[in-house]
Amino acid sequence: MARHRATGSQTASGAIRRREFLSRSGTVAIGGILSPFLVLDASGDLHAAYAASQGYLLVDTKKCQGCLSCMLACSLVHDGEANLSTARIQVLQDSFAKWPEDVSIEQCRQCATPACVEACPTGALTADPQRGHVRCIDPAKCIGCTLCLLKCPFVVKRLTVVQDERKLTGIRAAKCDLCADAPYHWSDVGGGPGGEQACVAICPVEAIQYTATMPKQSLQGYNVNLRDANWGKLGYPTD
Amino acid sequence: MNNGYAGQILRIDLSERQITTFPTSRYADWVGGHALSAAIFFDLTRHVLHEMQDGYHPQNVLILMTSPLTGTLVPACAGRIEVTGIGVQSHPIGWFTRGNFGGRFATMLKHAGWDGIVIEGTAATPVWLDIRDQRVTLRECQELSLWGQDAWDSQLTIWDYVAGKQHYGRWIDPGGRVHGRTTQRPAVVTIGPSGENVCRTACLIHDASNASGQGGFGAIFGLKRLKAISVIGTGGVAVHDPRALLEARLWLKEKYSFRLSDLKSTDIELAVASPPVPGVLYGNWLAKGPGDSFGDRPTEGQRPQACVGCHAGCRARYESGLGNEAGCVETMLCPDADSLEVQRRATDLLNRYALNAWEMVFTLNYIRNLNKAGQLGPGCVIDSPLDFSDYGSLAFVERLLHMAGTKCLPDGTPDPFAEALSEGAYRAAARWGRLEGDLRSGELPYAHWGIPMHFDPRTELEWGYGTILGDRDINEHDFQNVWAKASFADWRGREPDVPAADAVRIVRSKMPPFDDDPRILDYGDHNMYTAHMAKLVAWHRYYTRFWKLTVQFCDWRWPDFINIYASDKTGCTGLAEPRFYNAVTGQNLSYSQSIELGRRIWNLDHAIWTLQGRHRDHVRFADYIYDVPAASANGYRELFPVFEDGQWRYQTRFGRRLDRDGVENFKTEFYRLQGWNEATGYPKRDTLEELEMPEVADELGRHGRLG
Repeated sequence: MARHRATGSQTASGAIRRREFLSRSGTVAIGGILSPFLVLDASGDLHAAYAASQGYLLVDTKKCQGCLSCMLACSLVHDGEANLSTARIQVLQDSFAKWPEDVSIEQCRQCATPACVEACPTGALTADPQRGHVRCIDPAKCIGCTLCLLKCPFVVKRLTVVQDERKLTGIRAAKCDLCADAPYHWSDVGGGPGGEQACVAICPVEAIQYTATMPKQSLQGYNVNLRDANWGKLGYPTD
Repeated sequence: MNNGYAGQILRIDLSERQITTFPTSRYADWVGGHALSAAIFFDLTRHVLHEMQDGYHPQNVLILMTSPLTGTLVPACAGRIEVTGIGVQSHPIGWFTRGNFGGRFATMLKHAGWDGIVIEGTAATPVWLDIRDQRVTLRECQELSLWGQDAWDSQLTIWDYVAGKQHYGRWIDPGGRVHGRTTQRPAVVTIGPSGENVCRTACLIHDASNASGQGGFGAIFGLKRLKAISVIGTGGVAVHDPRALLEARLWLKEKYSFRLSDLKSTDIELAVASPPVPGVLYGNWLAKGPGDSFGDRPTEGQRPQACVGCHAGCRARYESGLGNEAGCVETMLCPDADSLEVQRRATDLLNRYALNAWEMVFTLNYIRNLNKAGQLGPGCVIDSPLDFSDYGSLAFVERLLHMAGTKCLPDGTPDPFAEALSEGAYRAAARWGRLEGDLRSGELPYAHWGIPMHFDPRTELEWGYGTILGDRDINEHDFQNVWAKASFADWRGREPDVPAADAVRIVRSKMPPFDDDPRILDYGDHNMYTAHMAKLVAWHRYYTRFWKLTVQFCDWRWPDFINIYASDKTGCTGLAEPRFYNAVTGQNLSYSQSIELGRRIWNLDHAIWTLQGRHRDHVRFADYIYDVPAASANGYRELFPVFEDGQWRYQTRFGRRLDRDGVENFKTEFYRLQGWNEATGYPKRDTLEELEMPEVADELGRHGRLG
């Protein structure tokens, strides 16, 4: 498993990226390098901050062919079954709608300040330093309370639930870990930052891309143009 | 189960409004899809099959069936579902027949926990089936005013109903099980006005343009007063070896699929290596000249669109939304339309009425030719209320499809001409007293079973033979696509990618147990009626019966005989199919075994047709196939491999026709190869027992139809 590979200007601890983030968001760190640590924000409130994830997923919703292969691969590599509901990446589509509004792709953004992590009452959800600070769930600690789902700030919640009869609730939460903890991973390289992600590897049209660089923290930062000249050769728009 | 199966099959008795289930394992020998459906169908109807001459028989059973690979990651396979039952399209009787369609429905059904649905009886009032995981409900159409809606509106209505107060675009709980949640819309297969009006040309529609057209199953839905089936599943499909499945998928991607960084072709092909471009055939391909593209593709903003799990979509969604997800024959209606926009809107109308596209293309062409000849139109011999003065306009198409889909004039008045259109051109010609003459001349190009000719039996031999020995236009492009590659190259003035000798060598190597026959792929005049040709036709029946109809590999991507990305041009068929199958099921099926299973399925189908009354004498082409030479309409030359003077060459076979005695010789060779009685075509007990179907032999014996 490639859990500790440093990429670009980033150190194994994610310190440079964290500084970049803190600089952008106007916060001042007063904590250490542990994750999370405490910061003062611009208004003077004290709250936890997190080491930046060392990997992210970018998507191009204008390019996606709607085959849902990414979702099937995701559930397969994590849970051993093809299951659209447990896929950590979600593709929504409407057969009758007009391009490009007919498709949206909702992937976890590995948020700088992950509300899901903050909401977790058991410490199951962390910015896992063993996995490149990807926001990960420890299945053993998760109690299936779904507070993480509720607190995810996005309309399509980026977390899902997996049936788990060992839990009192009958479920546990699941989210994108960039395949860092993927029991059915096909490759010796493994997943996680610097590794191989099932959705990226499977996507037939290369509409999902891995990056080690923190995207701009907006929809446009994560939904990007991956349509190059080769795509144009097939008669599709590239702009 | 950890082998690709959901484990349960739904059984819906519409007459009694009863919903029961039975375990899929009861039919474990039959794998899934068509084979499993045929076995169930045989069990449920064996005692009345001899009197089932039409799909309108009250005991007709309609079956929708997935395969163990459905809903998984198997490319160009996971999203398809088989539809089986007695049809209403073929002539002289409605044979036991089949269709299938892609999209999301099959996957949703599996993820809801069902391998298939068996539909029996007739509802007293129109109903629709609402499947939400394990919660299955027959609902009245009246509640949603569903009956009377077109095939698109009915889906949107059901989507809204299933969501209730929830909204698509976020997670919803369909209410089928505890903790069930999904971001997906329900998958709905439905009929439109044509099905409600029990037109033989009615098909089933799912999403914008996934259709099960042949057989007229839309009419069966309508007759049973079943408007639609909606399914939404929040579960999954467990596979035997997830790692192996992922590895296989990535192996296919790396070695055999298109590569954006190295595009060897930008044209759609019916092959694994095809790039994801829409297979639209807008425009008038008959008016095209050498070098032209066959279809006019819209140039606006668009994306490729694929069925679930497919690695290379063959359709598109557009900035205007016109013709979303349509491809192939759905885009061929009204080739003389005033504009591309009219043609795209005609495509959408076709899908809203849920009419069989191929049948309507031929019906329109036939009546247009009669109109041009002064035989059909207001005040003509065939006094048609359809005015052709604005032929090519959207208004004309609307009138045409309204008549064909409702049996009425636009003002709602029932009309005999409209009713004739709704039956399809073959039966319409019979009503107008033109059938025999137009079949003799070829004016009505319905080569077999009252169904429009697809590829020409006089040239594409395996296609024609496969069709008359079966029940419908086979629509299986396996070999056709290989030869088409050479033909397209010829059309564009290029040398073929693979010389004829190499193509024959590669393809033949993938045809066990007949891969030792050096002449199996010889389309020359000298080989049209031989035992070699019988082997080609037989192998085709076996491969497709298992891999396409039963396992549901898509006809537009499989098999992979010749592959432009493979170093030696040898495709992955024979390696890929078992690799995927075994990864999901945990079995150890060999390619040769799969072909043998296909033989078993083919024999079960043939036994069912025999119980329906099939005799050797039924198996023949329309007269024009014997009397009129095949010709190219626009200079396009279909090329086939021919072995002459010690060499393989691509040659066109236009100009030839079939010989009646020759076809009889072929039938004898084919029946001998099958172990069927050569005089009657009836199966022999020994053959059926060797295939472990003694109960089928017993049933045939009871009806005096053992060979």
